[in-house]
Amino acid sequence: MSDRALRIGALLVTLAGIGIAGYLTWAHFADQSVVCVQGGGCEKVQESSYAEIAGIPVATLGLASYATILVLLLWDAPVARLSAATLALIGLFFSAYLVVVQLFVIDAVCVWCMANDLVVAPALAVLTVLRLLRS
Amino acid sequence: MATRPSSRQGASRRSIVAVIAGAAVVAVALVAGALLLRNDGGSSASPTPNVDFSGIPQEGAVLGDAGATVRLIEYADLQCPACREYTEKVEPSLVADYVRPGRVVAEFRGMTFIGPDSVTALRFVHAAGLQNRLWQLQEALYRNQGAENSGWVTDELVRELAADIPGLDVDKLFADKDSAAVTDLLAEDARNAQADQIQATPTLLIQIGDAEPYQIHIGFDPGALSEALDDALQG
Repeated sequence: MSDRALRIGALLVTLAGIGIAGYLTWAHFADQSVVCVQGGGCEKVQESSYAEIAGIPVATLGLASYATILVLLLWDAPVARLSAATLALIGLFFSAYLVVVQLFVIDAVCVWCMANDLVVAPALAVLTVLRLLRS
Repeated sequence: MATRPSSRQGASRRSIVAVIAGAAVVAVALVAGALLLRNDGGSSASPTPNVDFSGIPQEGAVLGDAGATVRLIEYADLQCPACREYTEKVEPSLVADYVRPGRVVAEFRGMTFIGPDSVTALRFVHAAGLQNRLWQLQEALYRNQGAENSGWVTDELVRELAADIPGLDVDKLFADKDSAAVTDLLAEDARNAQADQIQATPTLLIQIGDAEPYQIHIGFDPGALSEALDDALQG
């Protein structure tokens, strides 16, 4: 796979991340329910004490991270590639923690969070690290 | 010359390992910070009530003049941190400015979607409602809210909180907690929540007379609630 394809893939995945995190952030501040699958635990997860860190919604932290990665991908200098991969890996590890919290602590699953934690974050980490390996 | 690519690859591998290790360290620090700084409600607990319910009539889950035309219905889970925040930030002015003067009547409807401690807390709260002290106990529980399903709704805690509520018979509270009457009240709350299609807590509905209730979104802003209630009072 060419570097151009990896970069486009990373950009698309980042935009997906911005979409999910942006939606959850909007729902939080607009005091709106998130659309959830039948029997899903979106509200339970969103309203749990794990949904905020020092008063800042986790979704907002995710949105800020994705926005930063987007800027880094657009910049695309060597240091930007390194920073994007580092940030994506931090996101991956933190997503793993969030999956554990949902499954074993809160005992509820938010489909939006899981889509981010199990698809978007790992995909972005793989794509950015692959780009770093090739540079 | 042959050694240069291999040396570059070695450096590249080392830098990848350094990136992964650095990211892991930062992530561990983030998780530790997240666990330490999460919004578990423990820090804002206060030993004294935030809301003054004294002298306001109560009947079951209803607070205020039952004849008031405008009714504010609150769906809440006693374990939900947002419900605690609503109670701390909005309920004092709601009670002082609208319920106490008899302009608005408030109704509490409990939900238990967070887990077992929600059920235990709601049983105690409805049992207090049988003695017309529901609102005092819900406020006290929010003030002492613990982490979800950590077993924080202990008999000891409830006994301590209930003892501070004037007019509440603590022994009767515990006797009523698992009664059929309280079970029926929980079931009624669940039926109402389903009928009103409640998806989140806290959810606020305004009902004017016998009209269909409508949902309002105020966040934790007492001013926004005042605006919504003033609109309703003007018909």
